[in-house]
Amino acid sequence: MRNGMGSLDLLVVEELSVGHGSAPVCAPVDLRLGPGRALAVVGPNGSGKSTLLRTLVGLLEPLAGTVAFDGAPVDERAAAFRRDVAAVLDDDAFFISLTGREHLLLTARGHGVAAAEEAVDDEVEAFGLGDRADALPSALSSGQRRRLALAAAFVRPARLLVLDEPERRLDAGMRARLAARLGSLRDAGTAVLLASHDADVVATVADEVLVVDDDACRLLDPVEAAGRIAEL
Amino acid sequence: MTTSTTVAPLDGAAVRRLTRRATAARARTTLGERISEAWGGLVSAGIGVAVAGGSLASLRESIALAGAPVTGTTLPASLTSAALALLALAGVVVVLARLGPVSATPAAAAWWLPLPADRRGLLRGELVRLTAAGGSVALLLALPLVFGAAAAPTAASVLGGLGWAGALAIAAVGGTALLQTRRRGRGVAGLAGAVAGAAAVVPAVAGTLAAAGGWAVGVPAAGTLPGWVLAVAAVAAGALLVQADRGLGRLDAARLLAGGATARYAGGSLLSMDTRQLGRALAGRDRPPRRSRRFRRVRRPWQAVVATDLAVLTRGRWQLGQLAVAAAVPVVVARTGGLGALPPAVWAGCLLGWGLAATAAGRAAREAHGAPELDRLFALSAAAVVRSRAVVPLGGTVLVCALSGLLVGVGTGAVGTWALFGLAAAPAWAAASLRGALRPDPDWSGPVVSTPMGVLPAGVGATLVQGVDVGVVGTLPLLAALVSGGPTPLLVAVQAAWALLLAAAVLVQLGRRRSQEG
Repeated sequence: MRNGMGSLDLLVVEELSVGHGSAPVCAPVDLRLGPGRALAVVGPNGSGKSTLLRTLVGLLEPLAGTVAFDGAPVDERAAAFRRDVAAVLDDDAFFISLTGREHLLLTARGHGVAAAEEAVDDEVEAFGLGDRADALPSALSSGQRRRLALAAAFVRPARLLVLDEPERRLDAGMRARLAARLGSLRDAGTAVLLASHDADVVATVADEVLVVDDDACRLLDPVEAAGRIAEL
Repeated sequence: MTTSTTVAPLDGAAVRRLTRRATAARARTTLGERISEAWGGLVSAGIGVAVAGGSLASLRESIALAGAPVTGTTLPASLTSAALALLALAGVVVVLARLGPVSATPAAAAWWLPLPADRRGLLRGELVRLTAAGGSVALLLALPLVFGAAAAPTAASVLGGLGWAGALAIAAVGGTALLQTRRRGRGVAGLAGAVAGAAAVVPAVAGTLAAAGGWAVGVPAAGTLPGWVLAVAAVAAGALLVQADRGLGRLDAARLLAGGATARYAGGSLLSMDTRQLGRALAGRDRPPRRSRRFRRVRRPWQAVVATDLAVLTRGRWQLGQLAVAAAVPVVVARTGGLGALPPAVWAGCLLGWGLAATAAGRAAREAHGAPELDRLFALSAAAVVRSRAVVPLGGTVLVCALSGLLVGVGTGAVGTWALFGLAAAPAWAAASLRGALRPDPDWSGPVVSTPMGVLPAGVGATLVQGVDVGVVGTLPLLAALVSGGPTPLLVAVQAAWALLLAAAVLVQLGRRRSQEG
């Protein structure tokens, strides 16, 4: 389906109800996201943002409604889907015997990146991991592990990037740099979907904002949404 | 973001290899140390097999020399053996189903599963490891049986026994994995649990009915199965495994991660020898209630504790089934030809069954141990909370001990005395339940004891037996009754007094300890 910019929508969500067991955690969601567009999901704690993102990337079954990526129902078991969609959710799990750099190399080579080592060096630099990249995860701080997880999403190609509160555990400088990079990615044609509590990140990255709530989920433009985010 | 993908991405096997090599390069153990550890493990396993085989051979000889049975033995030993085998197999299936059986560690879920690599290649190693582990454990368990249970084991009987054990283990792994790949694995654990329950309860009921009617349960004479049957079973087990392997690509990340989280929780509990946590890991989520309880009859704080404990017990997925099996086990042992004529065997059957009842009935207390702040919600002293917490275990053990005592007594002419004996032993098992549930965490700081099977931490052992110790000691009068030919009113009174005394001592000791902890 073509969006307003004349390109096909990558992600099409219709009447989607999400939750655990049989109980929905928020009102049904409708949204469309095309290449070069960014959508931020905002809402109070427990409103269902993370559950929504997990459902959109196929880690949870929808309670009702449909989610389609690139014209086909979302199926994270399909290699093509995993090739096209990079997601950083609330995972903080690492192989205990692999260094940060080895985690990134595994990701890059696993996605067939031609110059894997150079790509890893670039992301290590961009995320300020420096010499910590050769440390084991147990020797990294919580914020450094978060940077490593985010770097893994950038070290590989993707058509859709899904991030759950990417600003979490990052310092102010890194938040600003991350927001700028996400904006650049969006401008280069990648679709970006992120849940966030950070008004600055949302303002820098998002073209549209989905406010998730119990009674209704509404799409707003970032200016309209700014006041809503401040209330949360 | 990187945008070029001009080379072929790694396939699943290559991703596994890359991870393994990086891990091996950083391993802190040398090859010699690994060989030494493997050798130590083999020696320990060998000693365990020899001890178990010897015990079985000794039991077989004791049965041959045994006198009159404790009660009417109406079940043939072959039927009880088959029920035991079915129960063990069902137990294995429950554990496999709870673990996935194929699963992904959180790290693998985060770093392997998002790759476009073929999922079958990524997960094949896990299936191979599971099969190897299942087969090895089955062979280790079968070894003492094939050597110890037969008076004169032959090469054919040993190979046949080991072959059946291996085939069943592979079938269990392959079957559960196949169902998992077809998204039909969720009900397997419950079904296997029901089969395990039936394997214990049906023989107990049949044996009791037979005793009441004055007849014996008959089974067709089981000759040795021809070799081709085993060959067919082995091929069928292999086919299940191959089919499961072909379906690995259909496994979704969420279920793989859930299984991996359970496996990690269970593995950690096993390593730290914390059986309470192991039970929690394998039990899974509670049955969701249809509606919240109103607790209308609760008027006082102690009633709130009891009502909460009862709700926790009845919402557990396994506890009510465990109580049924617990009541059946002593009956099956006492009714089985051979075993029923050995007072220590019948006593051991009672310990096993009533210990299981104590474990099931102590669920709420175990949960309370993990969340001591809940105990402080009520206006009760720590000692009063402990006393209140004893009510549900007492109810559960009274039910099980009295019922199994009654069923053992059917056909002896002293049903009431047997039932009273079970009832009299219940306070000791209720105290055991509470003592086991509220025992301290394993103490790893104590001295270690050198044994032929390796170094064992004495402090951990001393902690783990807390609970069981009171149950065993509290049931000694029953052993006296069994050895002396049956229960008498005097022995019932001794049993009741002894069990109540122990229970009171345990409640006082636990109350003091919880007060100090609080």
